[in-house]
Amino acid sequence: MTGPTGVGIGWRPEIAGFVAELPGLRFVEVVAEGVSASGPLPSGLTQLRERAVTVVPHGVRLSLGSAEPVDPARVAHLAAVAQRLDAPLVSEHIAFVRAGGLEAGHLLPLPRSREAVDAVCANVARAQAELPVPIALEPIAALVDWPDDELDEADFLTEILDRTGALLLLDVANVHANARNRGADPLALLDRLPLERVAYAHVAGGAEHCGFYHDTHTDPVPPAVLELVGALCARRRPPALLLERDGHYPPAAELRAELDALAAAAGYPAVT
Amino acid sequence: MTGAPVPTSRAGLAERQAELVAALVAGGPPPPGFAPGPLAATRAALLRKRAGDVARHWPLLAAGLGARWTTTFAGWAARRPTAGSLRDGWDLARALHADGALPPVAAEELAVREARLRYDGLRSPRPRRLPAVGRAGGAVAVQIAGRVRLLRPAPRVSTLAGDGVSDAAGSALWISD
Repeated sequence: MTGPTGVGIGWRPEIAGFVAELPGLRFVEVVAEGVSASGPLPSGLTQLRERAVTVVPHGVRLSLGSAEPVDPARVAHLAAVAQRLDAPLVSEHIAFVRAGGLEAGHLLPLPRSREAVDAVCANVARAQAELPVPIALEPIAALVDWPDDELDEADFLTEILDRTGALLLLDVANVHANARNRGADPLALLDRLPLERVAYAHVAGGAEHCGFYHDTHTDPVPPAVLELVGALCARRRPPALLLERDGHYPPAAELRAELDALAAAAGYPAVT
Repeated sequence: MTGAPVPTSRAGLAERQAELVAALVAGGPPPPGFAPGPLAATRAALLRKRAGDVARHWPLLAAGLGARWTTTFAGWAARRPTAGSLRDGWDLARALHADGALPPVAAEELAVREARLRYDGLRSPRPRRLPAVGRAGGAVAVQIAGRVRLLRPAPRVSTLAGDGVSDAAGSALWISD
């Protein structure tokens, strides 16, 4: 088990062939809920494991930020997937995805309140008690803010990481999106985050719609996000950076160029 | 800004999370203190995300609607919380079928699904044990021992008037934009 290193890409069935042919690839991430805990693994993932490529399960439905306790069955699934993939760590979000019996369908932000910090720390502790490996927590991109935030983003995240001992999965595109949509300085946030706790970073594309920057994962990575990758690496380079692409897949040459641009921005070897 | 008051009640986090989700996916009232613009943008973003998820489960439904897929789905789903992508797409396909507005390729996809799985509109679809016929928009699929074949494709635009589907439905639906 080696921790993620270098430039990676989010493994998705639609681009499994493309990913399989990246000669320098050492690291992918897979959506944990898409992997069976006991049935056959997708053949593409099996082949990557045979090449000793690190596969990190990335949960999207745990809802660690819910006021209610995290569902033990979902934690057990994540733990089983981590074991199957011999993963060095797992990752999830500081977010909630359901409440009052309704599924939101995507990641929603928490109020930056003491009560929410307590709720998320309790759920992370419940998950950590069952997981065979460390967990990295990812701050999300949010368009909406709660009206009664008590903490700013840096204090909120730092307190959660300090209290849980979790690693940080820093999504550079989310930092860009949140700053852009609030007229804030993304570098000011980078300067206040515990960058020594970053297990790896996410990088993704997005687009402007109706006055908001949306972290779509279906558009090219904009230059501003790549510049922010450079600024992050100048402060403290994460051990690994991962390109997330979830749809509207471009031709292979374009996806390779995005991976190369990410490697260049971070000063890591190209994986293509 | 409407100057909506910051909530003074001590509603707990669970209740406030439930209010926010209901406002975003079930047509619930906006929770007090939230700015309306970001709330609307979040609602729209969730619908786009959901449309993409459903399109992966129902590729021909999405392809049949083409450029109108996202708006058609969003219009249908705006006040309907998700029941999962498989059921969301199934419910929408049946609704479009009932309105005579299901594109032919989507009708074929629906007929194949109806033949393969039993879906009562309430619970998760389950495999059919007995041989079955699925029909939608003139498409006919049969399932025997778990194997499904499309026996008859759905008629394309030119023959639809003869099948009793109104011209209005046809022109609204199949002229690509």
